[in-house]
Parts: sequence; structure tokens; C-alpha cells
Amino acid sequence: MAKIGVFVCHCGENIASMVDTANLVAAISEHPGVEICTEYKYFCSDPGQETVKRAVREHNLTGVVVAACSPRMHEQTFRKACAEAGLNPYMLELANIREQCSWVHTDKDEATAKAIEITRSLVEKVKRNNELQPISVPVTRRAMVIGGGIAGIQAALDIASAGREVVLVEREPSIGGHMSQISETFPTLDCSQCILTPRMVEAVQHPNITVMTYSEVESVDGYIGNFTVKVRRKARYVRMETCTGCGDCIQKCPVKKIPSEFECGLGNRTAIYTPFAQAVPNVPVIDRSRCTYFKNGKCAICKKTCQIDSIDFDQQDTIESIEVGAIVVATGFQVQDTSLYGEYGYGRYKDVITGLHFERLASASGPTAGKIKRPSDGKEPETVVFIQCAGSRDAAKGVKYCSKICCMYTAKHAMLYAHKVHHGTTKIFYMDIRAAGKGYDEFTRRAIEEDQAGYVRGRVSKVFEQNGKLIVRGVDMLLGRPVEVEADMVVLATAMVPQPDAKEFAKKIGIGYDEYGFFNEAHLKLRPVETATAGIYLAGACQSPKDIPDSVAQASAAAAKILGLFSREHLEREPVVALVSDSTCAGCWGCVTACPYNAIDRRDITDRNGNVIKRVASVNPGLCQGCGTCVSFCRSNSIDLAGFTEKQIFAEVMAL
Amino acid sequence: MGIQVQFRKEAAELLSSGAVKLVIGYGEGSTPERRRPVFVRTPAETERLVLDGACVANLSTYLISEGLLSDGKNVAVFLKPDGIRSINILAAEAQLNPEQVVIFGFDIENGEARPLAGRKASDFTQVVEAAKAAGLSPELQKEAERLDHISAAERFEYWKEQFSKCIKCYACRQVCPMCYCRRCIVDVNQPQWINTSSHTLGNFEWNIVRAFHLAGRCVACGGCDRSCPVNIPLRLINHRMAKEVLDAFDYYAGESTDQKPVLATFRQDDPETFIL
Ligand SMILES: Cc1cc2nc3c(=O)[nH]c(=O)nc-3n(C[C@H](O)[C@H](O)[C@H](O)COP(=O)(O)OP(=O)(O)OC[C@H]3O[C@@H](n4cnc5c(N)ncnc54)[C@H](O)[C@@H]3O)c2cc1C
Ligand code: SF4
Ligand code: SF4
Ligand code: SF4
Ligand code: SF4
Repeated sequence: MAKIGVFVCHCGENIASMVDTANLVAAISEHPGVEICTEYKYFCSDPGQETVKRAVREHNLTGVVVAACSPRMHEQTFRKACAEAGLNPYMLELANIREQCSWVHTDKDEATAKAIEITRSLVEKVKRNNELQPISVPVTRRAMVIGGGIAGIQAALDIASAGREVVLVEREPSIGGHMSQISETFPTLDCSQCILTPRMVEAVQHPNITVMTYSEVESVDGYIGNFTVKVRRKARYVRMETCTGCGDCIQKCPVKKIPSEFECGLGNRTAIYTPFAQAVPNVPVIDRSRCTYFKNGKCAICKKTCQIDSIDFDQQDTIESIEVGAIVVATGFQVQDTSLYGEYGYGRYKDVITGLHFERLASASGPTAGKIKRPSDGKEPETVVFIQCAGSRDAAKGVKYCSKICCMYTAKHAMLYAHKVHHGTTKIFYMDIRAAGKGYDEFTRRAIEEDQAGYVRGRVSKVFEQNGKLIVRGVDMLLGRPVEVEADMVVLATAMVPQPDAKEFAKKIGIGYDEYGFFNEAHLKLRPVETATAGIYLAGACQSPKDIPDSVAQASAAAAKILGLFSREHLEREPVVALVSDSTCAGCWGCVTACPYNAIDRRDITDRNGNVIKRVASVNPGLCQGCGTCVSFCRSNSIDLAGFTEKQIFAEVMAL
Repeated sequence: MGIQVQFRKEAAELLSSGAVKLVIGYGEGSTPERRRPVFVRTPAETERLVLDGACVANLSTYLISEGLLSDGKNVAVFLKPDGIRSINILAAEAQLNPEQVVIFGFDIENGEARPLAGRKASDFTQVVEAAKAAGLSPELQKEAERLDHISAAERFEYWKEQFSKCIKCYACRQVCPMCYCRRCIVDVNQPQWINTSSHTLGNFEWNIVRAFHLAGRCVACGGCDRSCPVNIPLRLINHRMAKEVLDAFDYYAGESTDQKPVLATFRQDDPETFIL
């Protein structure tokens, strides 16, 4: 005989203000099988849980329904309470009369009637619940970090330093990400390379870190604690094991005029190249699409030059399968293509550049050795105009959000320029200066007060060329009048946007993303580094625009989460797994194909003499995630999901 | 030599050499317009085989009779292109080994049967491709479009009227080669999702589930439609589902013996129009 206890929570006023709980209790008390039904202000509180526990013990309850909020919120709380009172925790159901009822209704009578139905339906379900035992699965205590920018490097170092193995996967020939392109960093103006390079070297030399550069993730299978990641190592055509990074091949390569991606096209590279001098690992790659040997079989000068025969034109991409227990996604960002602002002349005038170009001009290791020279004729610009929010906060043309870093780096650029060109003038068109951060407002003040950054509040309507000058026409909103500035160079503070392939990548590894392609966290406030997919974490600018301090902080947070996960050898998993009925399975293998976790195998059923009578589908409970895809696929209705059996669901529906 | 004579001769050879244990073909029916299946086990019996423009049934459905192919021996069967597609699907869904099926392929043109070259399902790839290229049946398309152009409410009324006629005889299921489950979902009674009585609601449940289970699997052989004793135009529902998977996923049922089931596969570029 079922003896069900039903506990109706007021959630303060959240439920009680829209649902007549006394009515609800009265109606449910009458329902067959309900042994006890009570209400209380907060069942999740200590005294509330005590009430539940006491009722379980005193009435020998066989099932519990808490009519309150969503299972996501408090299922664990009440499962624990049941277990403590000696009831199998899976004999508990939450009837969600808050999110699904009181919060979304305005008519108390109707809401009450609905709350009664919801609760009744869960009572019918819980009557058919079975006692379940959690499944214990081993945890592979190795992490993968995807993306070798500062966020990825930091996460890898933190996990590795705590004694766990890390595989760091970077798709470019070198780790470092955008930080390696930056000249000096706000708000302290320390040289970016000088603080980054030691980290890069530490990562590659760390005994617990395997760095895979020029590599990309092909697929991710499995689940928290037990992922299998396939990684494609792209052919470098240079043997990593032997190359000493002497660079002789680079010197001799005759194809010299390839615009360097790292230098944003302001400098050139060869067909065999390392993206920058401090590249880690310091092993070049051959750009197949540009190499003469790959085009017509001639040349091979690099091969002849290399004294230790490290060039291998026959190398092929290889795919490695790596088992990991957790994944950090740190794939970073891109700067928005600014050609969407035709009126600013980007792409048309050589001296209209982006902030990232400016970083390269200001960088001591850049194409101009740190001298500010404009791209068109190499002259030192006397007047530089900076245009902020070139793409950000512009719902019409660009993106709606604030890119967060451009106010700061524009102030930095104005300062760097003032330090390098003493007689120069700067004008910065801005909407407002957002400098929230430790030392940030002081930094922009310093730009204005010490380095004479000329801030003009207003938007630019047009940039055009006249007599060899760039004319910037805009409006000064504070003075309420139009302005025109004759500039030698214009720098656009372009928006930070997701990687172009971010959405595809997210689908590939199974995480969510927002309308732009920034990856979604599980909860914006309370779980900002987890994704909704257990075991996959986020770090850095792939989640939202971030500066270096924020990226690093999030990376360390993700590492802490993973180290928490790795502190145990086993993980308890929900016993919500699928089960196939041998007698009715038709062996069509549709479920085998449909299962996103490859949890279903074929199994032979044999007679006494070992002859196969039938082949049926068989679920591996260690792999099954309880998603229910197979259940909905199976035409012969041969699969059931523990905890959500057809009988339970049917009873639930029929009670409505 | 006419096709009927030719097929009889070849069937007799296959049987006498032991290459097949059984030939499933057509024989005289109760009237000249009707043909019924015959099961031929000896060379002499091949005289009973008939092949002409009246041979429309999809005989592949007999291949899934329990135990027929489990001894590993081969069976020959007369099949039109729709039947050949059924073999592909049944093979893809692991219901038979296509190597065991010897095909007497034919097609009907202007009321005449004409042979198709090939013996194994894989020999007919071009025939199936041509069928796909020709598109879903134009006559059916015309009939179906009439329903597309009326309002949803009128359409619902139409189907309500049609389905209310169903007597749940399950002839449509029995005749369909794709309905091979040993226990059909309508026979599940713990819990009983589909009402067994033949009132309109129960009939809706049954007919819609049947249509869904055939999405991306129906080859439009018309067996269900012809077997329905109350003349429900089942072809129109099947056609609708076939069009749906063709338009959305470029999926044509029965293209090959290793085609993955459309509803069990996911591609990155699958349309997601249903997500609001
Ligand atoms: C012009 C400019 C100036 C800036 N100046 C400053 C400053 O002064 N101070 C400051 O604090 N911040 C500054 N920033 C911000 C800073 O660049 C970012 O905060 C930081 O680079 C974010 O690091 P990240 O690791 O998240 O991303 P990234 O640096 O973008 O690194 C991501 C890495 O992941 C790799 N990757 C991407 N996709 C894949 C994939 N699918 N598989 C494998 N690898 C992949 C990329 O190749 C890259 O190496 C500036 C930004 C710009 C644009
Ligand atoms: S989908 Fe159903 S019938 Fe087909 S193999 Fe899986 S369990 Fe068996
Ligand atoms: S519920 Fe079915 S489809 Fe989902 S993971 Fe388990 S076996 Fe695979
Ligand atoms: S549903 Fe009807 S038309 Fe389609 S394959 Fe089955 S019997 Fe033939
Ligand atoms: S053949 Fe016709 S009457 Fe019989 S079950 Fe099918 S639809 Fe209903």
C-alpha cells in the first residue's frame, strides 16, 4: 500500500500569494494513497526538512512529494532529507508549483486548480517510483584545455601545478593568443610579452602539461569524468622531435612576401615560419598553400638548408584519441571586421587601422620596432584620431554589447603614442569612458592629465581623404557643435567578437552559446565558469569580452572546479539510465545510431547450446546519460528509462 | 522471349541448382485484374508464376516472416523499384541480409511489365537514384496539394472523417514490409498509450503513430492503402511524411543497404525550424 507524504511549501509569499495552499492541502489530503499532507512557509529550511524527515519516520512513508519549486533548485535537498530519514532518495518527487504555476499566473483560483493537478500528477508518479541506487563511475583525472591564450595557459598551469595531467590544445603554431600581440598592457603598462613569455615557457616545460599546437579538436564523446576527445594534429612538415628552432630554413625560404597574420598584415612572413620570435614551441610550420614545393614540387630549399634533416614534406595529419575527465574551453575572441563601417574608410585608406594594428606598431618586437609609423608611407603621424565603440554598443550595425576593454586600451594607445611621439596630438571620440576596475579610472585620468589625451565626447560620422590628410568629421556633444579633425592616422576601437567558428565549435563539443556565439555559462551569477554540460568549463574571452585580469581569474576558477572534481576517484551518477526489453526489441539498431553517447551495443541472446536466437540492443549503464533519445526513437516501445518509466509518465499524464 | 517466360525459366534454374530455396512471385488471382502471391519451391511449380501489369503488390513483406531467412539459405523474390527500396531499408535496419535475397527486378510501364537488370539489391542503385531524381509521385503530389491548400481546421475535419472510419483491423500494418516489430506499440497495454477501441480518438492515435513510424521509411508501394477495407487514403499521410523528410533532410527512403535512419541521425546543418 502506498503511503505518500505531500509537503506544500509557501516559499514565503512566492507560492502562497498566488496559490491557496489550504485548498491545495485539503484537495490532496483526499487523494487516494496520500497518508499525510501539510503546509509550511519554507520546507527547504532546517525546520522544514525536519518536518519531512519526522513524517517519513512516523508514518513509514513509501514516497514523498514536495510541492514547491523546480527539481533543479531543491531536488538534492529533499533527496538528502529522505535518505537521512531512511527512505530511498529516489522515492521523492518535486511538484513544481512555483516556476510552473504561481510565478506565471495572475488568477488565484485558476492557479490553485492547476497546483492541485500538478501535485496530484506527481503523487501518481511517485506511487510508481522504484528504489534506485546511484551509479559509481571512475574519474579520469586528466584535463584538457582547448585554446592556448592567456586563459588557457593559466588554467593548464594551475591544474598541472596541483599535480594533475593536462593536455593543452592550440590550433595555431604557437600558444600565446592575443596577449602575445599586445605591446604594453593596461593598467600598469608592463610589456605584454615580458609577462607572458615566462608563462608560455613554463607551460611547455611543465612535466604535467602536454602542449599540442597546430592541433584542433575533432569531436568530444562521453560525459563528466570520462570524455574521449579526438584531436587532429595538423601536419607541420617539420619534425617536432628534432627541430632545434635555429631558424635557418626561415632565413632561406624564398617566398618572403606573405602578409603575416600575427602582424595583422603590417609585416611579412615566409612560407616556412614561426608566427613570432618568442613562439612556443619554437618550431616552424610550412604553410602548404604558399609553399613552392607543395605547388610545383620544386624548391625544397628549407629541406636542403636544415642541417639535421627536420623537414618532412610527407607528414600527414594525425588524429589522437585522448581520455580526459574535464575540459576547459578557452578559445578566446576575434576583433570584429570593421568593414561594416564603410564611412570610416577601413580597408579603403591604409592609415585607418584597428586597435590590434596599433598594438603591433607600438610593440618593440613589431614590424616597426616600436616606432609609431603609419602604414601608408611609414611617416610618423603627427595627429592620431581614435574612435571608440567602432562596432560595440551599436545595435544597428555592430553588436549590442559593450566590449569592455576598448576604453582602456584606447587610453593606453593615446599614452603610448604620447610617450613615443612627444610633439604629437591625440583626439579620442568616445560615448563615455568605462573604466571600472582596479587602477582603471586612475589610468584613464593619467592619460588625460599627464599625457594630454584629447577626449572628444561624440560620434564620428565620416572619415575621408583630402590633400593627403584623413579628415575626421564628427560632433562634439559637450560643446554641441560639429568638429573636423585633420588626422594622419585613425585607430578604430573595434568590438571584441566570438571566434568565427564559435557556434560550430560549441555544437561539436556540446555546449550552449548566446546570440553572438559567446559560450553560455550554467548560471550568470552563481555558476559563471561551468557550462550546462557537466565537466566542461569556460575561461577567458570565449565567454564574454574580458581583459587579461578577468581572463586569468576565470581560468584559475575553472582550474579550482576541476581540481575539486579530481579530488575523488569516483563520481556518483544519477541512476536514470535506459533499459531494453529483450523480448520485444526488434534489433533495428535505430537506438544504437540515435544514442548521442554511444551507450548502446548489440548483444546476442543464445540458447543452451550457444546458438544465437536473437540479437538485441543493450545499454551500458556506465555510459548512458539518461537523455531518453533512444526511448523516443524505439518504435516497438522496447526501452524504458529508470526514474521516468512509461508507467510513471503515463500515470502522471492521466492524473491531469 | 517475354518477361514472364524468361523469369519462369530463370526461377526454375535457381531452384534446380539449389541457389535459392524459395521463389516468391505472383500468380493468378480471383479475377484477371488481381494477382496473388505464390510461393514456389520446385522447378515444376514455376509454371504458376505470372508477371504482367497487374503485379503491383510489394512482395518484400514476406521476407520478414519469422525464421524464413535464419537458415542462411537464399530466397528469390519479384520486386518493383519500391520493393527493392524496401530491401534496402530492411537491410539497413538489420532485418535481413541482402546477400540472401535474389531479386527478379521489373517495372511497369504503360500497363506492361518490363525487366530490370540486376540480381542483388546493390545492382539497382541506378534504378533507385532515378526514382529519387524523378521525385515523389506526381499524381500523389497533386492529391496531397489539395489538402495543403485548405485551412488547418478543414484539414483536421477531413482527417477526422477519414479516421473515424478505421476499424483497427491493422491490415495496413500487416501488409507493410516496414512493420516488422514482433510487438507493435498498439499491443502495449502496460501502459496503454494507444486506445484499442476504434473510436475517433483511438483511431487518430493509431494512424498518426503509424505515419510517424514510417517517416523516412515508407517506399510508397501503396500496400496499406490498397489493403484498407474502409478506403482511408493512407497514401496521402505517407506521402506527406516522405515529402517532409525529403525537403528537410534530403532523405529518400531506401537508397542503400547502409543508409542511416533519418530520425536517428543528426547533422550539424539540420534545419531547426521547429525551434522558436
Ligand atoms: C587591441 C587590444 C588590446 C588589448 N589590450 C589589453 C591590455 O592592455 N590589457 C588587458 O588586460 N587586456 C587587453 N586586451 C584583451 C586581451 O587581449 C584579452 O583579455 C585576452 O587575450 C583574452 O585571452 P583568452 O585566452 O581568453 O583569448 P585569446 O587571447 O584570444 O586566446 C585564445 C586562443 O585559443 C586559440 N583557439 C581558438 N579556437 C580554438 C580551437 N577551436 N581549438 C584550439 N585552439 C583555439 C586561439 O588560437 C588563441 O590562441 C586587449 C585586446 C585587444 C583586442
Ligand atoms: S530501437 Fe528499439 S527495437 Fe530497435 S534495436 Fe533499439 S530497442 Fe530494439
Ligand atoms: S537514454 Fe538512451 S539514448 Fe540516451 S544516453 Fe541512455 S542509452 Fe543513449
Ligand atoms: S506504409 Fe504503406 S505504402 Fe508505405 S511501405 Fe508500408 S505498406 Fe507500403
Ligand atoms: S487498414 Fe484501414 S481500417 Fe484497418 S487499421 Fe489500417 S487504417 Fe484502420
